[in-house]
Amino acid sequence: MKRSRLQFFLVSALAGAGFLLLGGCCRNDARGGFDPADAPDIYPELAEYYEEHADFFRFRTPDDIPEGLEWTDNMHLPDLGSPEARKGGVQRGSMADFPRTLRVVGPEANNAFRRFILDDMLVGLAGLHPNVEGGHQSYPGVAEEWAVDYENRTVYARLNPAARWSDGEPVTVDDVMFMFFFYQSSYINDPWYNNWYGIGNNYTDITKYDDHTLSISMREARPDLERRILNLRPLPQHFFREMGEDFVQRYQWRFMPTTGPYVITDEEIERIRFNRDSITLTRLEDWWARDLKFYRNRFNADQIRLRVIRDTPKAFEAFLLGQLDMFGMNLTEYNYDMLPDDHPLVEDGFIHKSTFYNDIPRPSWGLWINSSMPLLDNNDIRKGIHYALNWDQVLEQFFRGDYVRMQTTADGYGDMTHPDIRARPFDPDRAMEYFAKAGFTERGSDGILRNERGQRLSFSLNTGAAPFRGVLAILRQEARKAGLELRLEILDPSANWLKVQEKNHDIAFVGLNVSVERYPRYWETYHSSNAYHDAFLEDGTPNPDRRVRTQTNNMQVIANYELDQLIERYDESDSLDEMRELAFRMEEILHEDASFVPAFIFPKFRVAYWRWVRWPDDFNVRFAREPTEHYVHWFDTERRVETELAVRPGGWLARFIPGAARDIDEIPAEFPKKVRVFDQWLAVPDDVIAE
Amino acid sequence: MRLNPLTVKKIKRFKSLRRGYYSLILMGALLLLAVFAELFVNNRALVVYYEGSLRFPVYGGQIAGTEFGFDYSHETNYRDLRDRLRAEGGGFVLMPPVPFGPQEDAYPGEFIRPRPPDFGNRNFLGTDTQNRDVLARLVYGFRNAMIFAFGFVGGVYLLGIVIGCAMGYFGGWFDLITQRFIEIWSNIPFLYTVIFVSSVFEPNLLLLLAIIVAFSWTGMTYYMRTGTFKEKAREYVAAAQILGASTPRIIFHHILPNIIATLVTFMPFLMITAITSLTALDFLGYGLPEPTPSWGELLRQGTERLKIAPWITLSAFAAMTIVLTLMAFVGEAVREAFDPKKFTVYE
Repeated sequence: MKRSRLQFFLVSALAGAGFLLLGGCCRNDARGGFDPADAPDIYPELAEYYEEHADFFRFRTPDDIPEGLEWTDNMHLPDLGSPEARKGGVQRGSMADFPRTLRVVGPEANNAFRRFILDDMLVGLAGLHPNVEGGHQSYPGVAEEWAVDYENRTVYARLNPAARWSDGEPVTVDDVMFMFFFYQSSYINDPWYNNWYGIGNNYTDITKYDDHTLSISMREARPDLERRILNLRPLPQHFFREMGEDFVQRYQWRFMPTTGPYVITDEEIERIRFNRDSITLTRLEDWWARDLKFYRNRFNADQIRLRVIRDTPKAFEAFLLGQLDMFGMNLTEYNYDMLPDDHPLVEDGFIHKSTFYNDIPRPSWGLWINSSMPLLDNNDIRKGIHYALNWDQVLEQFFRGDYVRMQTTADGYGDMTHPDIRARPFDPDRAMEYFAKAGFTERGSDGILRNERGQRLSFSLNTGAAPFRGVLAILRQEARKAGLELRLEILDPSANWLKVQEKNHDIAFVGLNVSVERYPRYWETYHSSNAYHDAFLEDGTPNPDRRVRTQTNNMQVIANYELDQLIERYDESDSLDEMRELAFRMEEILHEDASFVPAFIFPKFRVAYWRWVRWPDDFNVRFAREPTEHYVHWFDTERRVETELAVRPGGWLARFIPGAARDIDEIPAEFPKKVRVFDQWLAVPDDVIAE
Repeated sequence: MRLNPLTVKKIKRFKSLRRGYYSLILMGALLLLAVFAELFVNNRALVVYYEGSLRFPVYGGQIAGTEFGFDYSHETNYRDLRDRLRAEGGGFVLMPPVPFGPQEDAYPGEFIRPRPPDFGNRNFLGTDTQNRDVLARLVYGFRNAMIFAFGFVGGVYLLGIVIGCAMGYFGGWFDLITQRFIEIWSNIPFLYTVIFVSSVFEPNLLLLLAIIVAFSWTGMTYYMRTGTFKEKAREYVAAAQILGASTPRIIFHHILPNIIATLVTFMPFLMITAITSLTALDFLGYGLPEPTPSWGELLRQGTERLKIAPWITLSAFAAMTIVLTLMAFVGEAVREAFDPKKFTVYE
């Protein structure tokens, strides 16, 4: 109703102003206003490109598939969904901002909404089974089986003939080949993809044997070769047929057909053109993978509806009113003050709370000390800073024991994480010993250490993570005890990132997110080529004329010749054992270098949800970063009706409203209280938890 | 000093306006308290009598803990010292009425969360989300706001008077071009500019002041320009010119005193503008850097936690209302006292 009136208004305004109505009517379709009649056709260019790069895009016959491949499908792995799950209901969530585009690549596509149309949804060749111990195993996706030829750095895969795009087209090898073309194309305006998928970079060829059989090879045989190839996701070639110079605009508001379970309907696309307060995804009733093992009993909600709510406190209020189904309780304050376990809604069982210990690589929150800055280039000062930071107090007072100290630069990689390194504790006396070694011996009248030249021991500490401002306030206050001054700069996240990327910071408090991988990466953050232009001379001594290299993730500006060698060997290694040995050695060097202060990790997630949200008996899967990432939950519509009736006047509210009598007697005003902890995957060493 | 009889008349008139007059006295008292805030709200002791000697740590440098027999070299925790001396004897410590600094954890070693007022611990208005005493932050926040307000008034007057008078005095092309420039300048959205600048640079009091002044002086020029324009045509200006007075002398010595009344009446309202702007910026998170005490920051914390910590918002809101109301009362009275017509009759 509201929408049509708005449309009417817009259309008549246009007409009244004497504009052509044509422009208005053509925009009213799901094609983002682009007329298919004048669309470019990429197919001829595609054929030409394949021909031109015949070494990369290879066409063979089924006879060319080598004999003796060992095909696997890992069908013995356990199911992910719970047999109790029922389809139905609506998942109501919130987002801070309306997505700026529905494209999944190109400018502004890497936004918070993308996971609903790409990351968590689009089914790739094979998934990473998130619930098995001892290693990373794949489970069938679009590919129903695969074979690894490790010697030739090649993975063969056979696509499931039943696999369909959401618009009904079958998924074929052409779509996988097209994916490479697409990511290599300059039309998409996304250099990261151009680089990663570029010819001559990571992947060396893709071979089509028939419509459903292919192989892909990589340049290097890394231990996780299988995962690196099987996590590729085909893209719908027929949908992108119109791509060309205007790709970015043409596909701005078009929903890409998916191999996953949820789509944005044409009506919804039409609606959000005028109404950007929410977006709804609808479950495909006849999804091709619906009853397949690993997919059955997952993706249960009929719809996922996301409302724009800009502030966290407001979203929380909406949750308490039952307008949102779940709310992340990771923030300490929310869990203990805003919705404590004795809150009436929790006490009476309307809202349940669960804590789930997951087992994934941890984001590296820490202080990144810029060792190219004066004073900070001194190892003693850096070590002194380590001892001057009172993380214990942060963990106890600010996080109330929820978080634990991060120990190395790469925690959570299982046996690839160094088991013995312990981050330096708070010890003002030792800090001052180190500062004294660097010449800072006298306290000034303000209590800050000074050296002979009168320089104060003072550094700026910037961050873009405003919710953690309290953490920095504690660090600052406590560091004064060791005679160290930290000047806090709480910046806008993008301004902060800019500053760090330009290497203009002294000390930055930043958390780098990491994906679930078998082993940590070192090159991006620690190799000298990301610190300086020509960091070393031929003989390995530091180049006196080197300039800091900006726009890289080596935020410590660390350049260590020995480390470089180790990183290069690590990146070329094909043996996990060798890599582990190298990683441990590198961690030791990094610990000694002391330019990264490991902060904390949150070894779990917490969520509060209304009682109609149901979860499997073991709650979630091991590699889950968030409760909804793998869609193992479901919505109990009967419970929802029952609960909502009980909450409305006549339910618990009646206690606060005098005279409001309960009018539905058969519904209990209280439900069993459920506050649960799932620690079956607890994988942090005991001594760390104990602290 | 002999005052101009007109000025004496204005002061008399102002004094007779009770509400404004008492507001001014009250504001003055608050300002005085703010200037000497360290004596009332502070984590340093007023007086320490230790091992036979008296010390006054409030003003001056830090005194290391070792000097009072503690085993640390950073600043003495005087509340600990007080408790120790009370137990062991050998001296005494006199703490200020509110024994907390504005950036200090009032509940060391305990969970960080807002706590309600606790007279036993001398947290008269409770603590904020960082365990910091709300009253201490209000007091020091008030001082910062007042420093900011005076700086703002000074800056706006300086630019407004110089440019406004120059426009009125020189007229012609200079006036025309400057006016057009002001028209354009005053159309730049000020808040966005501040947000933009302070998200790129590290904001501090001077930078914020410079930005806000840069966008606020234009209003003042209009009054100065018309005032100067009018006065310039008078005989005494021509006389001064004939006597050979320089242009600045004519403007500042002869013309300015005659149009000063307008300036004075604006002052309280300009201060209100300054305080509200600073509070708004702090509220949005683009104001003074952490952990500078500020009212806007308290309000932001409080509004996000109205249900669990209402005392934060209530305190900051009450403080702001009181101070702004007092200023508005003063402003009204000043305006009335400077109004040449004692009675205005509207027909």
